[in-house]
Amino acid sequence: MFDIILRNLSQRKIRTALTVFGIGLGIFAVIVMGAMSENFNQTFEKSFALTADKIRVFGASGVFGGSITNSKAAEVRRVPGVNDAYGLLMAPLEEGGGIGPTGSQVVGLPPEKSQVVLSPVKVKAGRFLMRGDRYETVVGTSIASQYELSLGDKLEINDKNFTVVGILEYTGSFFDNTAAVPLDIAQDLFEMGDMVSMIFAIPEEGVDGDLLAKRIKISVDGVDTLSPSELEAEAKQGLAIFSVITISAALLAAIIGGLSVMNTMLMSVMERTKEFGILKALGAERRDILLMTVGEATIMGILGGLFGLAAGWVAVYGLNTWLADQGIVLFLITPRLVIIAMAFAILLGTLSGLYPALRATGMSPMEALRYE
Amino acid sequence: MNDDGNDIILKTRNLKKTYMQGKIPVHALQGVDIEVKRGELISIVGPSGSGKSTLLSLIGMLDTATEGDVFIDGIEVTKSKEKEFPRLRREKIGFVFQHFNLLPALTALGNVEIAMRFARIHKNDRIRRAKEVLTEMGLGDRLNHKPSELSGGEQQRVSIARALANKPAIILADEPTGEVDTKTREIIFNIFRQLSDGGQTVIIVTHDTWVSERTDRTITLIDGLVEN
Repeated sequence: MFDIILRNLSQRKIRTALTVFGIGLGIFAVIVMGAMSENFNQTFEKSFALTADKIRVFGASGVFGGSITNSKAAEVRRVPGVNDAYGLLMAPLEEGGGIGPTGSQVVGLPPEKSQVVLSPVKVKAGRFLMRGDRYETVVGTSIASQYELSLGDKLEINDKNFTVVGILEYTGSFFDNTAAVPLDIAQDLFEMGDMVSMIFAIPEEGVDGDLLAKRIKISVDGVDTLSPSELEAEAKQGLAIFSVITISAALLAAIIGGLSVMNTMLMSVMERTKEFGILKALGAERRDILLMTVGEATIMGILGGLFGLAAGWVAVYGLNTWLADQGIVLFLITPRLVIIAMAFAILLGTLSGLYPALRATGMSPMEALRYE
Repeated sequence: MNDDGNDIILKTRNLKKTYMQGKIPVHALQGVDIEVKRGELISIVGPSGSGKSTLLSLIGMLDTATEGDVFIDGIEVTKSKEKEFPRLRREKIGFVFQHFNLLPALTALGNVEIAMRFARIHKNDRIRRAKEVLTEMGLGDRLNHKPSELSGGEQQRVSIARALANKPAIILADEPTGEVDTKTREIIFNIFRQLSDGGQTVIIVTHDTWVSERTDRTITLIDGLVEN
């Protein structure tokens, strides 16, 4: 039966090609949008996993806009259950750049704590920062490749040159876009005085992070906390909204592709009414006709899926390569995304072909034979 | 077949068919009783609208009767369920159409072979049988030609080969010589004659008296009834 299906498809080459192109565009949208969503999800998941044990302490919102000084770290450290606490200052690496999952950032941290702050990430070359370091930096892999940095090279931050003393291993998280420098140097560089962006509090072993976060909030004046589970919930909500928007747009495009399959198959079934009559007169069963028509639609779905996948991969690869120069990785094609996109393409083809197929099987052979 | 003796391959009893043309009933068949013996070459004649093609479509299970029975090769097909019709068509009936009704994208071999696919016959056996019947039809050198590359007579012979592929009990031919010249008509008719002589039952619906005069027996239909 497969040879008949292929023959029918190849008989109407242009129409088949246009339909496959229609589905392909839809799947292309699913891949590109999905890859963006997957990248954000994965970056978040990895980043979260790497900092899941830490409680974030911010300045309480108010007149001073939630600012917090590094001196609060000592207060946080005194709260029972806190193993250690230290301030971090985050700023964009490039002027006007952003921080977060895609932008490159400078992180000022106490140099002697750098191994703890960045834990469990290891250095693949060189060392972590240590007490006494000043204009030294440890950089993530994305920054290293973006600025073509090796150990001993200079990285310019706010008109000051920093010597690269360590390069972190690849993590797939925001650490890849991080340049760690001593906190006091960062505070001077960005004229922040004693201000920090947040304080990381590390609970003692066996202490519940959520409870400790509440305790810190109560014990230390003028601070607000974000426990690991609160952070995860907030971030996941944001990611879910983002995923829904991107995937909905992609699905819409794919459904339009599906309608084009249905249109093609309806026309094809109508044109072949007499042929179906002949086949029925020759003893074709309902399932033979069904298999033939649904098979055609499914194959168009598969071809469209493969085409969309290939085009999506090329686009994602191209965009990632282009954005890499700016230190941004925006898209990630995961096996899960490939499977979902292909399954969707096949399902779309099959379902779109089902109605025309049922029309074909429902025809009376006598009427079909008389059809001109 | 019930009480019909084993040489009766087709029998219809009080066969009726009424179509609705809008709200007006059209009585295409009004009680047709015929019997055909195994190996007979029969022609069904009658003016347009007399019910010839309707009778053929009921015998061929392409349509269902309003009333009455059809027995083919011992089976009361009018009592069969609709889902059994494809199998019965494959096993009992071979159709030959006036306009050949070959599938244009397939070669002569493909057109004959496709009829056996639905019977789930193995590919090698299908090809062997298709070659065999096409060769019998004198088309051994035209196996890989598409219908557009064949003459009208050759196309009709492919159509007969296709009808024979599944070794049916009856061949039903609807105006099989309506689209061919007189020389080809003779060739086509001679094929039916040879098939009949070999034991194959053939029923031909025709307007052509040259054909009907040469069949073993002629059934004349007038206004949906057999003329005595």
